[in-house]
Amino acid sequence: MEGTGTFEKYRAMGELIASQGQHFVIALFILVVGLIVIKQGSKLLKLLLERFALKPQTVSTVNSIISIIVLVIVIATALEQLGMNSLVIRRVLFLVSLAVIGIIAIFRPLIPTLPFKVGNTVKVGDLLGKIEATTILNTRMRTFDGKTVFIPNSKIINDFVINYQFTETRRVKVDVGIGYDQDILKAKQILETIMIEDPRVKVTPRPTVYVLNLANGCVQLGGRCWVENAKYWTSRCELIEKTKLRFNHEGIIIAFPQLDVHHYHGDASPEFPGEEDHIREIDVK
Amino acid sequence: MKVVEALKVIDDGWVRKPEGFRVHFQKQENSEWVTEYSPGEKQKALDSDVVAWRLAWKLAEARKSDTPENDDGALVNIYVVDDLGNPTKYYASNQFEVFNRRDI
Repeated sequence: MEGTGTFEKYRAMGELIASQGQHFVIALFILVVGLIVIKQGSKLLKLLLERFALKPQTVSTVNSIISIIVLVIVIATALEQLGMNSLVIRRVLFLVSLAVIGIIAIFRPLIPTLPFKVGNTVKVGDLLGKIEATTILNTRMRTFDGKTVFIPNSKIINDFVINYQFTETRRVKVDVGIGYDQDILKAKQILETIMIEDPRVKVTPRPTVYVLNLANGCVQLGGRCWVENAKYWTSRCELIEKTKLRFNHEGIIIAFPQLDVHHYHGDASPEFPGEEDHIREIDVK
Repeated sequence: MKVVEALKVIDDGWVRKPEGFRVHFQKQENSEWVTEYSPGEKQKALDSDVVAWRLAWKLAEARKSDTPENDDGALVNIYVVDDLGNPTKYYASNQFEVFNRRDI
């Protein structure tokens, strides 16, 4: 009796596959193709929306809403192929999609997002490196000395974050101190020329040289120019190298911290104007 | 003359900003001296003259001929050129320099 029951089950299943199998395969095909189209279409839509200079959050929300609408249409079409085209199912799908869209639209802006993308060079607290991956709980960063650091997202949200790739360009500072007896104008000209003739330095904003300060032991010159973010480090190092070598070649002496000590004996005569009073004070003491 | 026009005059007439650099060198092929560049003329030029001069110096050191008679594999007349093919001054000395100079 048991064997007959099993046989009946298989027979019924065979009949079902014979009658509904084609519809089932078509429904499955619609579902798979639909999911692939949604995934690829979502990427294209994101690129398209980014051209309109919308906020990343807005782009993401609009993208999610459109993806959900298309997904509901795909599911409804697949169910229709299986013969489930009742009005109730369509209404349920419509209500579920409306609820999901509502939740996304209302709560998305309240969910904190990380201020960088994978591949960006970022400084979080004291850690500087390239972002390799982000998950719900933590962010994986590879520092420039090869360490992999897992940073809790809560720490990132509550800490200062510098994203070096948020803007395309970055300013390079070339500060150098020259002696008081050196030719300031010549030094400024050399420094400006070095910056202008470097292909990586942007034409606008123009490279500029300032006299930053008349410091204790030197006249401080500051060269300022803009380069692409990706070329910042090598540009800065090479501009400093060129400045040192060109100054050497042109006879501009770079100042270094120094302290002149004058030692006077009792019968010593002052070497510089004003020192006489100072020597007298020392004698009185 | 507007300031913008003055700046244009300065840009055109004071310091030229090259678009890239290549290392020029000559080597012997079938007993003839041929000129080549690194990176090649169809490849993207280097954006740093410091890197280009460093490459030139290393090439010169790596392929110095033992004697003037033995030029097999030697690379001579090594210097840096800009995107127009004009020799570039060595950034350290601000002079035109040639490594492994050879009159050919």
